[in-house]
Amino acid sequence: MLLSIENLTVRYGPETALNIDQPIHIEEGERIGIIGSNGAGKTTLVKSILGLVPYQGTIQTALTRDQIAVHMQFNEYADSMPVKYIMEAILETKISKNKKLQELIGYFEFGECLKKRYTKLSGGQKQRFTIILVMMQEAPLTFYDEVTSGLDFETRQKLMEKLANWYRNKNSSLCIVSHYYDELENLVDKLLILDKGRVVAYGKTEELFRRYCGRAVIILDNTPENEILVKDHKRLAAPAHLIALSCDNESDEREVTSRLLAHNKNYKHSSRDIEILSINAKKALFMKSEGISYDK
Amino acid sequence: MTNKTRKSLTLQMLLFELRNITGNPYVHLFGIAMPILMSYIIIRGVTMEVSDPALLCTISTSVFLGIGVVIPMAIALMGYAATRAQEMEKGIPERLELFGIRSSITLCNRIAAELIFILVVFILYFVYGCLFLELEPPKASGAVIYTISMLALTIILLCIAHGIASILKKFGPTYCVVMILYFTLMLFSGMMGLSYDNMPSGIQFVAKLLPTTYLNKDIYTIWVGESCRFAPMIQSYLLWAVIAGILLVTTAEIKQKYHKLP
Ligand SMILES: Nc1ncnc2c1ncn2[C@@H]1O[C@H](COP(=O)(O)OP(=O)(O)OP(=O)(O)O)[C@@H](O)[C@H]1O
Ligand SMILES: [Mg+2]
Repeated sequence: MLLSIENLTVRYGPETALNIDQPIHIEEGERIGIIGSNGAGKTTLVKSILGLVPYQGTIQTALTRDQIAVHMQFNEYADSMPVKYIMEAILETKISKNKKLQELIGYFEFGECLKKRYTKLSGGQKQRFTIILVMMQEAPLTFYDEVTSGLDFETRQKLMEKLANWYRNKNSSLCIVSHYYDELENLVDKLLILDKGRVVAYGKTEELFRRYCGRAVIILDNTPENEILVKDHKRLAAPAHLIALSCDNESDEREVTSRLLAHNKNYKHSSRDIEILSINAKKALFMKSEGISYDK
Repeated sequence: MTNKTRKSLTLQMLLFELRNITGNPYVHLFGIAMPILMSYIIIRGVTMEVSDPALLCTISTSVFLGIGVVIPMAIALMGYAATRAQEMEKGIPERLELFGIRSSITLCNRIAAELIFILVVFILYFVYGCLFLELEPPKASGAVIYTISMLALTIILLCIAHGIASILKKFGPTYCVVMILYFTLMLFSGMMGLSYDNMPSGIQFVAKLLPTTYLNKDIYTIWVGESCRFAPMIQSYLLWAVIAGILLVTTAEIKQKYHKLP
């Protein structure tokens, strides 16, 4: 086990920003997505693990501080010189002499940016600068707090793809905080869902999906016509513009899809949609707190 | 990088810190241009009526050496406090610590970089002095003591600036406190017109506690190798070193408040 968290509470003044009562264990090689709305406590969790905020509870790890790398949500550097020199100082190296660093700079197409100052870099270039520094640490545990926020769709996808490829055959554990569920779907195998400082669910994505959504979900637009077509099928909670149907077995699935196909309706089939999963996990938690048993 | 402990001083970090210093425009203006201009104007002013070349030389040298104190004060105290406060506001030290660069390492490299930089500025200052002013050549001992006292002052002021900015964390308050300190030092050590001998005894008492007082009033004596009582000067240095030490410890204590990974 790399890291374990028990009974973690973080307060900012009177406000409780984080209150984790169930144990959270991070194992070697795991890829964990941390999701939750703004203010859910994701960054606070990362900060408490790094010892940057005071907390109550226990965080145990055999790792030293140098073995945990982190891309914070906001990263700032000196602005008095081109970023090249900052990079060399932090990594204690010369770019011209460091093959691995050259490779990363090439991989992230950062070469052109090296002679610019940090504030002159674009948002995506800033993110890549920190990513390169973080990757060079080759830490057993790495946090990425919203590496893609504020980037355009294409840049975001490209960056995430590069990140995924880079870590593909490596054994480092990753914790990735993100609001973009689609980019997490291909990268993580576990999810930590937070809401208002509490843990909604933590576990393998597949298991959580089975628990809260079933074998698979069929997602379609929320229109009156679709509504009538699927009215007797098992519904899951979904964003207002969508209808999500839960399918427990193949015949179930076939039955719905053939009906939709017959009426020429568009739908999406998924067995790992994180958005639907998180909405339903939240609903389950809410129902539990109200004393109602959850049955998807 | 994993598991590798960082050395306290590295060439990359030193160059990084030197770039950090020279990238601060304040330093060039108040640390280099101002002392040069100040010494020129003041020396021209006070020596206008002096016709005796020996006396002129003595006065020029004395004023010139005294104004040299402005260099570490502007660069290590004000300039550095401004830089440090700005980076505190942006969370840069925290970011560097997450990369394994502890603030003690930063401070260590900064002290080395500032010493190098201040030495270069003093060389420039003296080149200017030799070219444009009538200065008395020093005794070897005088030059050595002058250099050492300026560098020691630099280290002390740097640590004080580091402490103040790290504790206050904001540019505004830091600048305010350092500004007050700067002018208090100037005023009480006799650099704003009121010389030590003309001070009321209460003010003299305060003045005696400041290293800058001796760098202003006794420095000519030291420069030309005449006998001088060093004890009060050394005591004032020790006092300020202790103040700097307390500030640094306080900074470290504030940080220790939180849990830290081993
Ligand atoms: N330094 C602070 N002082 C006071 N309150 C804070 C501080 N940092 C965070 N908070 C509060 O704690 C809560 C959790 O914040 P946190 O930054 O962890 O959210 P997050 O999940 O990372 O959100 P986002 O998606 O917007 O980044 C928020 O309500 C926030 O206002
Ligand atoms: Mg956040």
